[in-house]
Amino acid sequence: MAVEYNCILIRFGEIFLKGNNRNYFESLLIKNIKNSLSGLNYKFSKTQGRYYIEEFASEDMDEIISRLTKVFGIHSISPTVKVKTDLEEMCKIAYAISPTEGTFRVTVKRADKRFPMTSMEIGAKIGGYMLNKTGGRLKVDLFDYDFELFVDLRESGYSYLFYDKIMGAQGLPTGCSGNAMLLLSGGIDSPVAGYVMAKRGLRIFAIHYHSFPYTSELALQKVKDLAKKLTAYCGDIKLAVVPFTEIQYAIHEHCPEEFMITIMRRFMMRIAERIALKNDCGAIITGEALGQVASQTMQSIQVTNSVVTLPVFRPLIGSDKAEIIDIANKIDTFDISIRPYEDCCTVFLPKNPVIKPKLQDAIEYENRLDIEALIEKAVNDTVTEVISVED
Amino acid sequence: MIFFDNASTTKCTKESVEIVTKYLTENYYNPSALYHNALSVKQDLERARQTIIKKLRGEGKIIFTGGGTESDNIALLGSKKIKGGRVIVSSAEHAAIYATANELKARGYEVVFAPVDGNGKVIEEEFIKLLTPSVTLVSIIHVNNETGAMNDIQRLCKLVKSKCPRALFHSDGVQAFGKLEVNLRGAGIDLYSMSAHKIGAPKGVGALYIAKGVSVNPIVYGGGQEGGLRSSTENTAGILAYEKAVIDRYAKLGETEQKLKEIRSYIADNLQNIDGIKIISPLDGSPYILTFTVPRVRGEVMQHALERRGIMVGTGSACASNKASTRIAEALGLQGKYVDGVTRLSFFIENTMEEAEIFVKEYFDVYKELEKYGS
Repeated sequence: MAVEYNCILIRFGEIFLKGNNRNYFESLLIKNIKNSLSGLNYKFSKTQGRYYIEEFASEDMDEIISRLTKVFGIHSISPTVKVKTDLEEMCKIAYAISPTEGTFRVTVKRADKRFPMTSMEIGAKIGGYMLNKTGGRLKVDLFDYDFELFVDLRESGYSYLFYDKIMGAQGLPTGCSGNAMLLLSGGIDSPVAGYVMAKRGLRIFAIHYHSFPYTSELALQKVKDLAKKLTAYCGDIKLAVVPFTEIQYAIHEHCPEEFMITIMRRFMMRIAERIALKNDCGAIITGEALGQVASQTMQSIQVTNSVVTLPVFRPLIGSDKAEIIDIANKIDTFDISIRPYEDCCTVFLPKNPVIKPKLQDAIEYENRLDIEALIEKAVNDTVTEVISVED
Repeated sequence: MIFFDNASTTKCTKESVEIVTKYLTENYYNPSALYHNALSVKQDLERARQTIIKKLRGEGKIIFTGGGTESDNIALLGSKKIKGGRVIVSSAEHAAIYATANELKARGYEVVFAPVDGNGKVIEEEFIKLLTPSVTLVSIIHVNNETGAMNDIQRLCKLVKSKCPRALFHSDGVQAFGKLEVNLRGAGIDLYSMSAHKIGAPKGVGALYIAKGVSVNPIVYGGGQEGGLRSSTENTAGILAYEKAVIDRYAKLGETEQKLKEIRSYIADNLQNIDGIKIISPLDGSPYILTFTVPRVRGEVMQHALERRGIMVGTGSACASNKASTRIAEALGLQGKYVDGVTRLSFFIENTMEEAEIFVKEYFDVYKELEKYGS
């Protein structure tokens, strides 16, 4: 008997803990699940504590599972065979989906208390059938088993048989913690920072500073490709591209060379905050890691942080590069991040950037510029585009 | 829009497109099939080989490939060589040769690079010194794709044949064939690579000339097309469009050359006014290419800025952080800021003097704007 997995079971994790907010969290999670599965045909249903995906084309199953493993708030996923609760039928299915040799156990959960046998009895019955059918090549071992067959009898009158429990992305449903603006440079760190914060339920907006003609269209495409990768986890991302060349020119002309980066970053933070507030974002996210480069020392961070009032989340502040690269590989952004375009704006980088800038100095040099006019122009000329899960 | 990056690729001409359509929709038959319609396509293919052989003034055969790079690969990897022998390539070869030569090195050959002068031309005295009895293959680019410098491959080939009679001589003619007169037979050149999309035909088509008596093994195996040297159903539409391009380019070769020479000198003369500029292309080089470098504005930045004004040009090195792309600049002996300042203009049949005039005006404009910020 050829049996196909016909139902995907989704278990959700941490949102159990959230008491009265549970409905809100769940509705977000469901929305995110549906968004991640857009373009596919399926039926979604829910019961107490679980969701089910059914009526999909069998060749889409791997794609559905792959997408679900990227939805934050999901604890685990199992491809199951859903069948009307009927012991004889269940025995046949159990045998059909099981290996034919090795040791196994059957673990039964009987939520349907109307069923006239206990979990132990059901397990024994199914296990016995499998033993019988394989003529001794399959053996039962309740403790040291090669595989474990789960049998769930639900109140609905249906049962679910499955082997695998695939780990989900964990975390909180994207959006349940509000919106935040991610500074997305094209490097390795910023997409990882976005991913990490999205995992805590933030909906990600992104901002990128473009220095045409010093950075190329390819550099911009790289940023869009990174955002696109993040959408698998975060859903659609609104990306703001800020023309930055004029500000760089102005700093280059009027401020000491070693303060170029410091003052540039102060501008970036100010602009990020303006655009964040316009988009109802309650925080700014950066990929800074302490001491990684001159602009990521404690002193530099103080000087760049001081121009904004929104909280700035730096989830990678204590991470090593290797740890960041691990995550970048996991979320598939590393290969995009190392495309060689980003460094093309090296033209404005000083030979010896100041490592411990003083706030007073930065303010003094900056006052040589018409800060407000420069920012306003950059914000007005910003181009936004929605990077979508689909297309 | 002004397109001055024709060494990277060219617009397919209307005539070539018509032929592509014809062979994709009417004469679409597989030339290996046995019915009459297929046979007629096969005959067309054979005619195309002859057309190319004649223009090469060669004696031997033509196999069609998937492009210049593939032709180079078959020539270097597939040609019969003395095991562990010496392979000489110029230090300013296209990546298709450079990377393949490195592969030969990994396979146990001794690969040496013949130095070039500041224009990208092989230095004859240095080249002769490399000609030891163990030489088994020499590959020298005909027209340098970065600078337009022309190597006298006839002369170099004769040198090789006199000192190393067992060595094969290959030349990458991708920027030469269809743009200048070629004579392979006189000097005994053994292998010669060509590409269709550099002369107004579609991408994905190349050719390799194999002189009579030269033994080459395939690097791709399959149904045995192209005399077993390049299995895969022939890209008939592309190949016949290529033939058309070859005929048309050679029909007007002198005229085109005259026009492009004027364009090239006009631009070169005007650019001389830029402080510190170095014109890399030699005066006697290909009229299709003009390469120069400036110390104050990076080539890539200039490229982006010109693009915004509707002018597309090429660069020498893509990006300071991209080390692979500085190989040629180093071979040419460029130093410091000149390494990143390279711009390559490359012309083709449709370019006009009016475009050259606009280019000069816009270039100066952009240059003035960018130079104050330095590179």
